[in-house]
Amino acid sequence: MENNLIYSSSPHVKTKRTTRSIMIDVCIALIPATVMGTIYFGAYALLLVALAVVAAVFGEYLYLLIMKKPFREITREFDFSSVVSGMLIGLTIGTNYPVYTPIFGSLFAVIVVKMLFGGTGKNVVNPAIAGRAFIFISFQWAVGAWLLPNIGSVYGETVATSATAVVDVSKGTVPALSALDMLLGTGMQGCIGETCKLALLAGGIYLAARKVINVIFPLIYIAVAGLTTTIIGGFDVALFLPAILSGGLIIGAIFMATDYTTTPNTRLGNVIYFIALGILTAVLRYATNMETVSFAILLMNLTVPLIDKFIIQKPFGYKKQIKSKGENK
Amino acid sequence: MKTDFKKIAKDGIISSNPTLKLVLGTCPTLALTTAAMNGIGMGLAVSFVLIFSNVIISLLRKAIPKEVRIPAFILIIATFVTIVRLALDYFLPDIYESLGLYLPLIVVNCIILARAESFASKNGVLASAADGLFMGLGFTLALTLMGAVREILGAGAIFGHKLWDFSIGFFSSSAGAFFTYAMFIALFALITDKISEKTKLKKIKAEEKDFCGETKEIA
Repeated sequence: MENNLIYSSSPHVKTKRTTRSIMIDVCIALIPATVMGTIYFGAYALLLVALAVVAAVFGEYLYLLIMKKPFREITREFDFSSVVSGMLIGLTIGTNYPVYTPIFGSLFAVIVVKMLFGGTGKNVVNPAIAGRAFIFISFQWAVGAWLLPNIGSVYGETVATSATAVVDVSKGTVPALSALDMLLGTGMQGCIGETCKLALLAGGIYLAARKVINVIFPLIYIAVAGLTTTIIGGFDVALFLPAILSGGLIIGAIFMATDYTTTPNTRLGNVIYFIALGILTAVLRYATNMETVSFAILLMNLTVPLIDKFIIQKPFGYKKQIKSKGENK
Repeated sequence: MKTDFKKIAKDGIISSNPTLKLVLGTCPTLALTTAAMNGIGMGLAVSFVLIFSNVIISLLRKAIPKEVRIPAFILIIATFVTIVRLALDYFLPDIYESLGLYLPLIVVNCIILARAESFASKNGVLASAADGLFMGLGFTLALTLMGAVREILGAGAIFGHKLWDFSIGFFSSSAGAFFTYAMFIALFALITDKISEKTKLKKIKAEEKDFCGETKEIA
């Protein structure tokens, strides 16, 4: 009985949720997308994802070992966030990428973007997106044409899509592919993980049910991006569905934009953040004729400290006091 | 006063290296180090201007009134920049082309103004010339090394010779410039810190030895 009494200073409210359990939940939520990617694009897709994860974990261990942290301690405190980064990097490249690209991307993401800034919770931008941007900038010369998935359009006809349907939509034309095909990712070119939207949505629902993410914010992002594309395209309502179902908007909205460290602390701040993100994504897509979700998130990540500076949570009782930035959201 | 050329040389190349320690002249450092040849070209152009402007400013240091010294310095520097530009345009048009806008911008390069203000306007002609030479050398070395690293990683080449078909385009981009620069500053600080620690230890050990020797003699 006496052993059940714990003496400690505040905080007294405890939860079983740790960074590790949240990150494991994100990993579980990414499994459907990985499985569908493997079914669509073959074993090479799985190899790319696996390499990205291994490289990310290796990068974290390597950095901490160089910093003279004991191996056992690293393993005990390992929080799986580098596994998430690695999975996301592997899922946001296509099977047309050479085998070494996920390794470079993951090492850059974990060592430079995360560890050099102080580790989990201290990074300025989302490591996975920075790693993807690194691959995108560095290895454009080595990337071949996008490959079609093994399973064709559900309607049986062979549809020749352009690089990704994003280009069509940004030009204001409705892609030839049906919305159902886009949702399932059948007959559609794209990255390993972003093709099957249904699998991503399943992961998103799991995360929402486990209360890892607040489901409102990804929905705001997706809706605003779709609406802005519709408005840019001259109020063509037919553009709405293709705009949100093409490219990496859904994987970005569910798994990347919602990263705790790179979103504002307050509810109002988050609403502003995700609305701006949606507008920025749509406008950049229109301006550059390519997929811009990752770059839009990267740019908006940098505005988070600014948003947090001006939008401060009013504490209970209206006393003026600055809320400190923590791991909670 | 006897000029300590050894100290001037050490200052210019190592302990106050303009690029890696004073972080001066960052604009050409970031923009021009995509290739090692650019680094050498820019470094030598700046060195030339630095040496001659230092000499002239040192000669005129008593004639220039304090109130108008900055315009006077800039006028002198601009003269030499013009000479460099015309000479490069005639003799080495390729380098002139690749340095582009950054050549006329040497006029407002912080390194040159800083050395004019803090060294040449206070020291003799010979010392100022040596300061210009070694500061320029430090700048050239840093730029060439950075250019070489970025060229090898970003283009798979060195001095324009293709090494292999592999390249990481990130290092050719401006983000890569900032990253490489930061890594260079960090590495340089690490190395110089280690060296100065070692020399300090040596000094302490030598002093201890002397001390022990003395005590023995007394005993």
